[in-house]
Amino acid sequence: MGRYLISRFLKWIPSAVIVLLLVYALAFYGAGDPIKLIFLRAPGDVVWDPKQIEILRESVGLDRPFLIQFGDYLWHILHGNLGNSIITNRPVNDIIAAAAPVSLQIGLAATVLMAIGGIPLGVLAALNQNTWLDNIIVAFSLFIWAVPVYVAGPLLMVFLVLGLDVMQVPYGWDGLFSSKAIIPVLVLALNPLALVIRQTRSAVIEVLSKDYIRTAYAKGIPRRVVVFRHILRPVLTPVITTLGLIMITMINGAILVETVFGMPGLGRLTVSSIIDVDYPVILAITLIGTFLVMASNLLVDLVNPILDPRAVRAQSKEGS
Amino acid sequence: MSSVPEFHPADDQLSLVGLEGHEPSSLWRDALDRLKANKLAVAGIIIICILFFVATFGPYLTPYDFLSQDLSERNQPPSSSHWLGTDDLGRDVFSRVIYGARTATIVALSVTGISVLIGVVVGAIAGYVGGRVDSAIVWLTDITMSIPSLLLAVVINISLKTPVTNWMDDMYLKTHNPIFRETIWADFVLVFGALALIMWPPYARLIRGQILSIRNENFVLAARALGLSNRRILLRYIIPNALGPVIVQASAGLGQAMVLESAFSFLGVGVRPPTPSWGNMIKDGLRVWRHYSYLLAAPAAVLGIVTVAFSFLGDGLNDALNPKGWR
Repeated sequence: MGRYLISRFLKWIPSAVIVLLLVYALAFYGAGDPIKLIFLRAPGDVVWDPKQIEILRESVGLDRPFLIQFGDYLWHILHGNLGNSIITNRPVNDIIAAAAPVSLQIGLAATVLMAIGGIPLGVLAALNQNTWLDNIIVAFSLFIWAVPVYVAGPLLMVFLVLGLDVMQVPYGWDGLFSSKAIIPVLVLALNPLALVIRQTRSAVIEVLSKDYIRTAYAKGIPRRVVVFRHILRPVLTPVITTLGLIMITMINGAILVETVFGMPGLGRLTVSSIIDVDYPVILAITLIGTFLVMASNLLVDLVNPILDPRAVRAQSKEGS
Repeated sequence: MSSVPEFHPADDQLSLVGLEGHEPSSLWRDALDRLKANKLAVAGIIIICILFFVATFGPYLTPYDFLSQDLSERNQPPSSSHWLGTDDLGRDVFSRVIYGARTATIVALSVTGISVLIGVVVGAIAGYVGGRVDSAIVWLTDITMSIPSLLLAVVINISLKTPVTNWMDDMYLKTHNPIFRETIWADFVLVFGALALIMWPPYARLIRGQILSIRNENFVLAARALGLSNRRILLRYIIPNALGPVIVQASAGLGQAMVLESAFSFLGVGVRPPTPSWGNMIKDGLRVWRHYSYLLAAPAAVLGIVTVAFSFLGDGLNDALNPKGWR
């Protein structure tokens, strides 16, 4: 068990470094010279002396080869320093720390909504396989999986605010427990909800055909007990396995939801830094996003052996 | 069994021995029948056919040009002359939504085409060569798939923008070919590139997995034992069987590419105005939605309907082409 965890973790480190290298290279070769970017943005007609620029570049170490600069960047990250924004010159750490709580709160709220909505619906669909109820739930999950966040959000807004007039305009951020947060959280939960419903449904269908379920029914155990004790337990594994995908869907959704509803979180920070081409911030956000996805994948790997010890035995056999 | 029937391994009729008088039903015919039985999938196909028709011929059918501004007709609500009203510049929203179908379709078809091509080549290399090349490719796809896709696509898009624009300027100065002045092509190329680069890994994995599993199936073994040539095995047995999941993935991919294209325009990094894209129409509509909600609702509803249609079709194809999922 311990060896399994360590080997998983060791495999994860080079992947994280490669991702950083990839994004750093994109910024390095694509964005152009940061010094020039800063000068181009200076207000008024600044006459810039190429010699001065060269001196400035040398003083911050931008004349060094790519790999050395990248190593430097890695070193700073290891010490928890993400650099300074080109636009505002504030430390990226502070900018992120200010925005992260908003995203974290709506993300967690959406996750809770997704779990308490998705698992019961998936189980319900599977237990009534091929009936009208199943068909409706499956069609519903296909529907919410397909509708983009920036379509569902505005349409719901038009419907609830203009059509039914039951809500104030949901724009901005007043904390998680204000009426402004209802539509954003709901919309953010839609796409991952579809994933959870589908995963749960197919997992339950698979479990239903197992011999021990038939045995349980044959013994005369009531259906309710069979469902809660024998069917639900193994179902959690495939749902948790998709955690990485759920995380990606959430991050994509957060970028769009926060833009639609003007919430000052990481998603809107992404968009504003992209429009300003503020590379230190973009790099930091990409790093955080990738870290979150990789961490969820790692978490899946770590939790799986607890939920299903057979998987580990099969894998360690494969490895040796 | 006194007389063994004569054996022609290369004979096409081989599979019909003992089945004379029984109409052979091919893999595709079965799949089509199953697809037709799925009402949601049929609805999806109809909507997608309308979309492709509108994308191809729409700009010739609309009463107004998507660019023509009529400032005396600004911000008109939907009426008989402007079915979906007009925007703040007096442009006909209906014509713009229809032209947006063209933008979305071009991007979806090209991006899916490019990413399937990359995925098939890379996946086939991984599956055939195996060993270290295989592990390296699997590792690479793992990494690419663990970066949040929208974030990666946007970063690629803005990073490539400067080099591509510079290159276009250089080419124009060198050749004076007006093609290089059309920034709209640069926008499209950037969107294609960014989206294809994030969308190929699932195809590569799929093809690799298919090749690895089908290679060892009994029917391939049987074909090999019958002495069929490698080329024939590949063309008649491996490719048709590997194709199903790729078609399913590609139909989902078309919808996904459309969503991402609109998301790009919505965030302000994709196809730039004045070229209409549903994404930038939604973005513009969001600024004035309390007074002119149809400006927001029209493109949003159309995009929603189209992506749902692709989702239904993808699910129907999945049931139809995946015999293991037979219920």
